[in-house]
Order: sequence, then structure tokens, then C-alpha cells
Amino acid sequence: MASVIKAQNLTLAYDKGKNVIIKNATFSIEQGEFVFITGPSGSGKSTLLKSMYGQLKPYDGTLIVGGYDMRKIKRSQLLQLRRNIGIVFQDYKLINEWTVEKNVVLPLIITGYSLDVQKVQAEKLLAHVKLSEQAHKYPLELSGGEQQRVGVARALSKNPFLILADEPTGNLDEFSSGVVWDLLENACDQLNATVLVVTHKIPTIFNIPYRHFIIENGGVHEVH
Amino acid sequence: MKSIKDHIMFILPLLAVLIGIEFILIFGRVTKAYEEKLRSDYAIIVSSKKVLTTPYLRSIDSDIESVEAMNKQKIASEVVSNIGKENVDTILKELPHFYRIHLAKYVTVKKLKEIEKELKAIPGMVTVDTFGESYETKRSLFSVVTTLLNIFMTILFLVSILLIIKQMEVWQLAHKERMQIMEIFGAPLMLRSGVLFKMAFVDAIIAALLNLGIFLYVQSKLNNSLLFKYIHADASIFFHVKDFFIWLGVSFIIVIISVLFVAFRASEAIEE
Ligand SMILES: Nc1ncnc2c1ncn2[C@@H]1O[C@H](COP(=O)(O)OP(=O)(O)OP(=O)(O)O)[C@@H](O)[C@H]1O
Ligand SMILES: [Mg+2]
Repeated sequence: MASVIKAQNLTLAYDKGKNVIIKNATFSIEQGEFVFITGPSGSGKSTLLKSMYGQLKPYDGTLIVGGYDMRKIKRSQLLQLRRNIGIVFQDYKLINEWTVEKNVVLPLIITGYSLDVQKVQAEKLLAHVKLSEQAHKYPLELSGGEQQRVGVARALSKNPFLILADEPTGNLDEFSSGVVWDLLENACDQLNATVLVVTHKIPTIFNIPYRHFIIENGGVHEVH
Repeated sequence: MKSIKDHIMFILPLLAVLIGIEFILIFGRVTKAYEEKLRSDYAIIVSSKKVLTTPYLRSIDSDIESVEAMNKQKIASEVVSNIGKENVDTILKELPHFYRIHLAKYVTVKKLKEIEKELKAIPGMVTVDTFGESYETKRSLFSVVTTLLNIFMTILFLVSILLIIKQMEVWQLAHKERMQIMEIFGAPLMLRSGVLFKMAFVDAIIAALLNLGIFLYVQSKLNNSLLFKYIHADASIFFHVKDFFIWLGVSFIIVIISVLFVAFRASEAIEE
């Protein structure tokens, strides 16, 4: 079976190659795997995720995501790919003019699911992230940690085949972090999603097998 | 009430464009009516040794509509009163035929000169009088007004378009973030700009309705006015129902261009 993500001599850079962040990385990630990515601040963790959802084109080497060559992917194909990826952003990226409930089902709105399906899914996910009470509020009325959980719920709302999460527990206390880890574990274990999580702290209690990549000095190394 | 201000800032320049368009439409109709009046009042007077017929003259120039023979008797008696009946008959025999030639449309002065030349070239033609000077005066007055109106409308359009672009930038700022987030989750352009389209189409319809109100009001005030009598038209020259659809069409085109402009500018730039 083809890998969900396959990087070969992947080089990522900003400013047309002047600012190289990741150099010659080679790795592959299979369907249903759970991967933690750690590394110092500024090492390129968010940059690596960016290349996987196509906001940064690989400078050199190849990167295949969900069967698409990210250097040659067309705009319409990229949109198609993104509809099946769940992304959690370090800075949340919620739509402030929309209610929490509507934000959560953004991926369903984009795919054109009916309002009924949206409603059911929003209720279920908000209950999972303990935000049922806040469904009709707006993002700016929530705390940072609450907004982060809305972002996690949104990433999961369409049962994506790939989840890319950038510091999904960065702003959360131990209890809320536990809720998020459970959700991600569950998506991987029950729904066979591939999950990549950038974090500075791998949870001490984790119930499923995982891989661990460290990004350092421009290299991506796997810890065994 | 920031959002109401947003709408007004879009509706007003749109309305200005629509008012401009209606002025142009009205002026076009007034021009046509006035030219028709000038045309129907106008005739070239010729005298010819030979009989002239409409088909013959038409074959010479297609802008000629008809030819009408003038009463020789009347002309002769006007010219020569106080002479005997026999003398009049002799003179009548000698006199050429007089005709009034009507034109099919209100032609340019240049074209009029051309027709004059063509008529003079007809064998047996004695005199051709186009009254070129008075024709030209009426015409140049009209073309001055047309030029002024065009300059005024061009300025109005430019200012309005600038205002619309300005408002588009405001919209872009307001919507950019949402559209970019939607794009990251794979929303196609049409979905991303859906809200903007809805908003802008509503504004376009409001602008067209406001314009309708304005011109219906003005029309009711101007009904039976002397202006219309002078150009032999009535108030119906002022507003035609099809104008409303022209406004709608124009404002929809402006809306589509504006929204796509905003949506493209808000598209994420893929870094390389
Ligand atoms: N859009 C950009 N243009 C140019 N340079 C950038 C851009 N985004 C990030 N960088 C640079 O790339 C490097 C890696 O940034 P990145 O955000 O990937 O780090 P990170 O590992 O996610 O850090 P953190 O743990 O603090 O989030 C940094 O030096 C940063 O300054
Ligand atoms: Mg980061």
C-alpha cells in the first residue's frame, strides 16, 4: 500500500531558497500511524506541516501527500486534497464572525453536507471537547484554550484521512490536554486516520503505539 | 452600524453610475427625437429642367427619402405678379421644375455636401440649395451638448469606479481572513466569495430600485412640460421599462468584477 506521506530528499526553504529550513529529509508515514514531531522553537515544525497542506511548495526533493506530488499539484487538486485533511493551527485560525458551532463544521459546509448533518456533528464534537455550553458564542468570547479546542473539533469534523495538528495542547491545562489526546488517539485507532502532531511535550500516558520525529538543525530524525 | 455604512458606500457610487447611464439613454432618445424633428422639417430645394422621381434620386443616394414637386404656378405668380395670363404661361413653360427633396435621416454636414454634389451632377439640374449654414448651426449646437455630456459622464464614471474600488479594499480587509481560512480547508473560490456576492447583488438591486424611484419621480414632475413639446416627444422618452434591466445588467457586471477582484486578491499566496 502507498504511504500517506512520502518525503524523499525533501528540502524546504523560504524566500526562493535563500532561507533553508529543512534539508534533505527522507521519511514515509503509513495510513493509521500516529507521529509526534518535536524540536526546538524555530526548527521548522510548523514549516514541515505547511508543506504537507500545500501552503509551502517544496524547494527541492519530493513530497507526496495522499497520492499528490506537492511540487506539481494544481490549485484545484490542492483544494480537493485539503477537503480531506484536518488541520489544527498553532494560532487557531477560527473565523471570528462565525459562531463556535459553525466554525466546527466548516469542513462539512465546504463539502456541502446538509444542515441536519452539520448540527448533529457539531453537537457531538462540542460535547467531546467539553464546549457544548459555548456553541452559540463567537471565538473572541472564548479563552485561548477554548478556542484551541474548537480548532481541534473542527479538524475532526469530517473524519479526515490525515490530521495535521500544530501544538494542539499548547494552551491547555492537564485535563483539557487529556481530552484532546483522547480524541486524536481515537481518530487514529478507531477511524484509521494518519495523525501528525507537533508538540513540545509528548504525553506521559499514551495508549496507542506512536512514532517520534525530531527536527533539529535542518534534519528530520526518527527516535527509535 | 458599520455594516450599513459599508452598504451605502457601495450603493452610492453604483447609483451614480446608473444615473449616468440613464442620462445617456435619455439624451440618446432626445437626440433622436430632435433630429427626427429637424429632419422632417428639412428639405433641399432644387430646380431642374428634367422631371425628377423618387426612385431615380434614391438610386443616386440612399440617404434621400423622397422628392416632392412644388407648385410652379404659385412660384411663378409670386415672382412675377402684375403680368398677363399669357405671359405667365410662357414663363411657366420656360421655368424649370421645382422640388423639395426630403432626406431619410439626419446626415452630417459632410454628407450633406456630398449629396449636394451628387445632385448638381444630375443632367438638367439648375439649382441646388441645401441651406447648409442653418443646418450646420443646429447641428453644432447639438454636438457641443453631446460632447459636454460625454465628458461629464466619463468623469462621473471614473470617480464612481474609484469609489467602488476603495470600497472593495474595505471589503477585502474585512473578508480576507475568513476567505483564507476557508481556502486552507479546501473551499473553492465561489464558496469563499459567496457572502460577498450575496451582499453585493443585494446592493446592486437596491441601487437599481433607488434609480427607478428617482427617474419615475422626475418623470412625473416633468410630464407635459414645454421641453417635451419642443422636441415633439412626451414624458415617455424619459424612462423606458427596458432601462431598468439595463441598469440591473450593468450593476451586476460591476458586482461580479468587483467581488472576483476581492476574492482573487484575498487568495492565499503559496510560498516558494
Ligand atoms: N513565512 C515565512 N517566511 C520566512 N521565514 C519564515 C516564515 N515562517 C517561518 N519562517 C522561519 O522559518 C523558521 C522555522 O519556523 P517554524 O514556524 O517552522 O518553526 P517552529 O519549529 O514551528 O517553531 P515554534 O516551535 O516556535 O512554533 C523560523 O526561523 C522562522 O523565522
Ligand atoms: Mg510552530
